[in-house]
Amino acid sequence: MKNNEPIQKTMEELRNELEELRHQLDEANETIDAIRTGQIDALVVEGKDGHQLYTLKTADHTYRVFIEKMSEGAVTVNHEGIILYSNSQFARMINMPLNGIIGLPFEKFVVPENKTIYSVLFNESWKSDGKGEVSLISGNNITPVQLSLTTLELQEGVSLSIIITDLTSQKATQKKLRDNFEQLEQANQALEISNHDLQQFASVASHDLQEPLRKIQVFSNLLKEKQKELTVDSERYLDKIIESASRMKNLIIDILNYSRLSADDHKLECVDLSEVVKELMVDFELMIQDKNAVIQVGKLPCLYVNRGQVRQVFQNIISNALKFSKPGNSSRISINSTRISEKSFNSPLQEDGPYCLIRIRDNGIGFNEKYLASIFALFERLHSKDKYEGTGIGMAIAKKIIDKHNGLITAVSHEGEGAEFRIILPIDQKDV
Amino acid sequence: MFPKKLLLAEDDEDDKQLFHDFLHHRSDLLLMPAAENGVALLETLDNIRDAKDLPDFIILDQNMPRKNGLQTLELLKSNKRYTHIPVMVYSSYADQHLVKTCSEKGASAVCSKPITYKEYNDMIENFLGTIIHNQTNRQGF
Repeated sequence: MKNNEPIQKTMEELRNELEELRHQLDEANETIDAIRTGQIDALVVEGKDGHQLYTLKTADHTYRVFIEKMSEGAVTVNHEGIILYSNSQFARMINMPLNGIIGLPFEKFVVPENKTIYSVLFNESWKSDGKGEVSLISGNNITPVQLSLTTLELQEGVSLSIIITDLTSQKATQKKLRDNFEQLEQANQALEISNHDLQQFASVASHDLQEPLRKIQVFSNLLKEKQKELTVDSERYLDKIIESASRMKNLIIDILNYSRLSADDHKLECVDLSEVVKELMVDFELMIQDKNAVIQVGKLPCLYVNRGQVRQVFQNIISNALKFSKPGNSSRISINSTRISEKSFNSPLQEDGPYCLIRIRDNGIGFNEKYLASIFALFERLHSKDKYEGTGIGMAIAKKIIDKHNGLITAVSHEGEGAEFRIILPIDQKDV
Repeated sequence: MFPKKLLLAEDDEDDKQLFHDFLHHRSDLLLMPAAENGVALLETLDNIRDAKDLPDFIILDQNMPRKNGLQTLELLKSNKRYTHIPVMVYSSYADQHLVKTCSEKGASAVCSKPITYKEYNDMIENFLGTIIHNQTNRQGF
């Protein structure tokens, strides 16, 4: 027992000592925490020579908060490249506890193949600020980062501060962008090729289709001249062949014209639409007389467009208006235009607006608006071809031309109450 | 007036026959034996020794093997011996593009191939009319 007492005492002392140390550690931790979060500017430490006041050179409140809270890693290294300070973000970046980092050379975290880049950067940056990209070892992963190095004058001497920006997401975004761009490029190329092929096909097919078709026409006509040898039925069948062949010829020509619109022959010039309409009235003279039609033309603008193409649009719409007139009714067509401020059918009027809205109105048979989309589709016909001739391409051509001119086209109608085609075109294509 | 000598280059047998059938009766035309294509037409011309035996005008089919109408036209117009001969190009389908390029290369007329007897004869009359018109214009009256 006698021997046990001092041991017991020692145990007691040790316990107290441990308690004291724990307290000190807690205090130290608190202090460090306080320093880290910027609550302390200076501290007093009890040493052998009494109390000593340590002011923190880097104790600037905002600065420390900034360093600790920022999303970049921040370390300070000495001339040997040994880490003197690290913020917790850097610790997270390299996946190590903060206390294990201090005292290690920064170079240790740089991947072997980037060590030369780093050492050059490290040496240069003592003279002037440096920047560079390296990869850091982060546990089992590699993290691409940007390093920004700059010298820092501390009380202990000059050290180097390194700001480490994680480039992982930036690199990923860059890669994704690159990949997307590549995909887009490929898709574009494929599209261009298929577009070109399609045009080629349409053009060749149409040209080559014309030859045998013409033969059908030639020989049917020759046969028809031998009327005396034909029965009434044979002549009727022959007329059907001639009619169909002529219809097919129109179809082929329309397809050819449609496919040619895709070709890049977009020559623009200043075109007076009044002139275009005047010309068309002459072209349609017979049909106008035939339908007893009256065409009223208001003031039309001069537009910067492809003359032939825009003429085609007006030709197709006017021809439709004449074609789809009410039987027994004299046909009335009006063509008017106004200037508007936006490329929208709801746009307000504006006297010097950048767009013009053209309305071509008729009093014909009209159509149900639920078929609006079909009107502008290729080969769609609302009426049987016996009643109204046509190939069903005219309006598709009109739409394609207006699209190419950065415009809009639509139609408003009710069955039996006429139709109004509305076109919006920019006054000057250069502004688009 | 002497009939005008007409030389045709046409590779299509049917069209060659139609051309002959519809036009050989005309007293104002002398149809020379048609050439198979542009190359054959140039050979025919080169083999004519006396310039007064050259055709008075030439009609070229556009769609021919070896040398098409346009290419043959260019060769004709670049040859001093033949450049004065009026040339018409005709095709199953004469689109604006063909009309424009042929006219630029010196064709007197460009048209789509006719279908009927009447159309064939109209085509010839129009062509002859154009040539006479051009010649009187050149002489300046």
